[in-house]
Amino acid sequence: MDRVGVQQMAYQIGMVTVVAIAVGMAGSLAAIGFVEAVGYLNDRLLISPYARVQAGNQPGLVTAATLGVPAIGGLLVGLVVRFLIRERRGLAPPDAILAAQTPGPAPGLKSGLASTLAALISLSSGASVGQYGPLVYLGAMFGNLAGRVRLNLRHQRSIAIACGVAAAISTAFNAPIAGLVFAHEVILRHYSLRAFAPVTVAAATGYIIANVIFDRPALFLVDFTRVEHSYEFLLFAVEGVLCAGLAWLFVVLLKYSARAGRRCIPASWARPAVAGLVVGIVALWIPEILGIGQETLRFATIEGAFGIAELALVVAAKLALTALCIGFGFVGGVFSPALLIGILFGALYGMVLPYLIPVPYSGLVVYAICGMMAMASSVIGAPLTTILIVFELTRNYDLTIAAMVSVVFANVLSYRAIGRSVFDLELRARGFDLSLGRDKAILGARLIRDYLSTTYTAAHTSDTVEAVRQRLVHDQRSEAMIVDDGGKLRGIVRLQGILDSPGEIPIEQLAIRAYTVFDDSTSVWQSMELLRGFLGEAVPLVSEEGKLQGVVPEEAVIRAYLEIVHELREEENEAA
Amino acid sequence: MKRPEGVVVHLLLVAWLLAPAFAGSQPPEETPREVLTVATWGGAYEESQRRAYFEPFTKATGVVIETVHYDGGIKDLKNHLAGTEVQWDVIDMIQSDASVACDLGLLEPVDPGILVPAPDGTPAEEDFMEGAIQPCFITQIVFSTVIAYNDRAFPGEKPDSVEDFFDLETFPGKRALRRSPVGLFEWALLSLSVPREQLYDLLSTHRGLELASRRLDSIRDAILWWRSGEEPAALLASGQASMATGYNGRFFHARVMEGLPISVIWDGQLIGYNSWAIPRGTHQADQARAFIAFATRTERMADQANLISYGPTRKSAQRRIGLHTDTGVSMQPHMPTAPAHMDNAIFRDHRWYSKTLELREQWFQTWLKQ
Repeated sequence: MDRVGVQQMAYQIGMVTVVAIAVGMAGSLAAIGFVEAVGYLNDRLLISPYARVQAGNQPGLVTAATLGVPAIGGLLVGLVVRFLIRERRGLAPPDAILAAQTPGPAPGLKSGLASTLAALISLSSGASVGQYGPLVYLGAMFGNLAGRVRLNLRHQRSIAIACGVAAAISTAFNAPIAGLVFAHEVILRHYSLRAFAPVTVAAATGYIIANVIFDRPALFLVDFTRVEHSYEFLLFAVEGVLCAGLAWLFVVLLKYSARAGRRCIPASWARPAVAGLVVGIVALWIPEILGIGQETLRFATIEGAFGIAELALVVAAKLALTALCIGFGFVGGVFSPALLIGILFGALYGMVLPYLIPVPYSGLVVYAICGMMAMASSVIGAPLTTILIVFELTRNYDLTIAAMVSVVFANVLSYRAIGRSVFDLELRARGFDLSLGRDKAILGARLIRDYLSTTYTAAHTSDTVEAVRQRLVHDQRSEAMIVDDGGKLRGIVRLQGILDSPGEIPIEQLAIRAYTVFDDSTSVWQSMELLRGFLGEAVPLVSEEGKLQGVVPEEAVIRAYLEIVHELREEENEAA
Repeated sequence: MKRPEGVVVHLLLVAWLLAPAFAGSQPPEETPREVLTVATWGGAYEESQRRAYFEPFTKATGVVIETVHYDGGIKDLKNHLAGTEVQWDVIDMIQSDASVACDLGLLEPVDPGILVPAPDGTPAEEDFMEGAIQPCFITQIVFSTVIAYNDRAFPGEKPDSVEDFFDLETFPGKRALRRSPVGLFEWALLSLSVPREQLYDLLSTHRGLELASRRLDSIRDAILWWRSGEEPAALLASGQASMATGYNGRFFHARVMEGLPISVIWDGQLIGYNSWAIPRGTHQADQARAFIAFATRTERMADQANLISYGPTRKSAQRRIGLHTDTGVSMQPHMPTAPAHMDNAIFRDHRWYSKTLELREQWFQTWLKQ
């Protein structure tokens, strides 16, 4: 390798490492700040049980807070989303996925900050939404910022986004390997060493920061020795299948709730307030549904903390209210609620089993953890990540294997029933279908306008056939675009169609009226679809008003396709 | 310009006016004994304070220390302050009580500036453990409520965890517990593998208290209640109880000074703090501050720690803990703060304790009646 090449390589490696550490630190510190702020506000707003019990001598105040805080929080969220976020919805992992997958413009910093604020208010005021979605977006936002700095790195944006996300997950769960895998499994969706190396650095950075200054209790710490009986693995598999069903139900409820919200309350800013009020009313009866539910999560792994009926009630309530909160526009994630619903369902499964099949079991804990991970992995489409979270948090091999069995069976089914994840469903609703692979998504996002050619043969509507014939022969083309005085496209003619026609009649009379046309918003993917059965040389591209902008030769569409696919393959197979 | 005679006249006038005041404050015969009153806890603990703090203070300043008995809580302090004259100059309070008293305005402010740096020059703010220096109290010792057992009750396998305290099958015998809603529910949940960081979050829920109640139900018939600090060691020594909760200093005293076969289980030790404070309205607030500055010096704190196994809150004093002054027993392994004892120590949440007084009492009474 020559000297310039070595210098270039050293620059690339050094700079990528700097970006990874910087984004990792930013993502990690932001995650810590966010989680701490939610905890602090939960205490101040009397949402956390810890604060509620200390205000126990003022029961009126606690009731007022239960009813008022989620409703007022909802109103604030509605207003923030309506007036401060350009996209008019909370930004979430799907936006991070899209920004990493496609080259289109990503949401701006202002929208990102406003969305984080909305998520902070949602979580602080006790809405039944999750914190990891906003954390992932926060990490992606820093990645996106770093992606914009002119460093001349290849695939800078997608790698920087993956770094931010990995750091956020690594910090939040105190699980660096899970953070690393999540960024690949959910955000990047491929494994190349070029991305793998910096994302690992970012995940490790997040872990180090989390361990130095973030001394929060682990998500779950359980006491479990080993799976006692081999037949239990069959039960874990069955549990996985049931959890896939539960995940499907969750997704259906989410969809239904969003639709009901739009239908019943036309003013989008008012919807979260209504959901908040419902949360408050239900919380007077079932306080477990308020907020993230750390305490409930812990109780689910303790034998005897819940009765069977109680568990069933809390599972149903949490399911319904999470769907309500998210569908009605509270800003927050689906992962934490899915974890909670899953662990409660798992505990329920573990408690009901002895009545159905009277054989010895290894206790409640393993079923609770299996349920949690099977449900959560189906919802976010990240089986490897969830298995690793169990492993990193418990460092218990038996528990991890058990969770793995449940997770895999759940995912095999949920993939068919739901699709890869709720993120992909949301992206599909926005017109980005990632289920057919990244190729299609990028082809769908890149515009064919970028391949426009302005060298074509034009004819005016009043030109004679003979004049056009001569011009085509001169230009050595077989097609001409016919435009009027305003520059609007009126039709096209092909040489073979006017060969024998009388020379003096106006060309407009012979123009073909039914032909393929592209416009400003036609994507490369759409252009390929439109070209099916196309026989001409080039396709005209017109503006919104119908003005001819230029043409896209058939060759340009093929070139666009090849370029994009080549770029992708290169990124996915690259080493450092 | 004023004439000098005028100035002299004014000075004489002032002197004449002030003369009686000076005369009154200076009795002709002898200086009276200056006395500082300290409210504290009696017993071996007060004895250690006398030797480490009170006597050296008198020697250094000539100020005599008198003590009054104080049993903790806010009520006694409130009652005292409501009286005609404030007699207490310094009070040795449990941290949660001190914090409530401070909020209620019952305490004088204590300027951290009075605290003396460590002998090596480390400023007091860095030398004291985190949170020890507060606007109206200075936390001085770490004590702990621990589970202990009679060695003779378990000749084979020894209990070594909070879980074992609840395991009547493997470790039979009566369990002595303080008849008070303190520590019981923490241990109940800890024995169910709840991590210590989440104890107070879970106990804040109805479900958490229910769970603790059910756990305590499982040993209800084996419980012996104690009220005063010396009872647990006595119950263990007499064989009435096989396991008991109690203050670590008392168990230390029983084993080391009295040679009783009592061993401490440090798993799940409940750590609390005592603090020096000054009741509001005392006429000797400055003298009281001087005493606190003196008693929180590194050498003084280390001296006390070599008399009783309560840990000083200054790092420089912790490093000076050595052998028991009288018996020569190494003190370090008996301290609640010894690194080997901290793995699963519960730090009592003093804020939670002070705010849940009624709830805990109500829960306890209901549980007792069930």
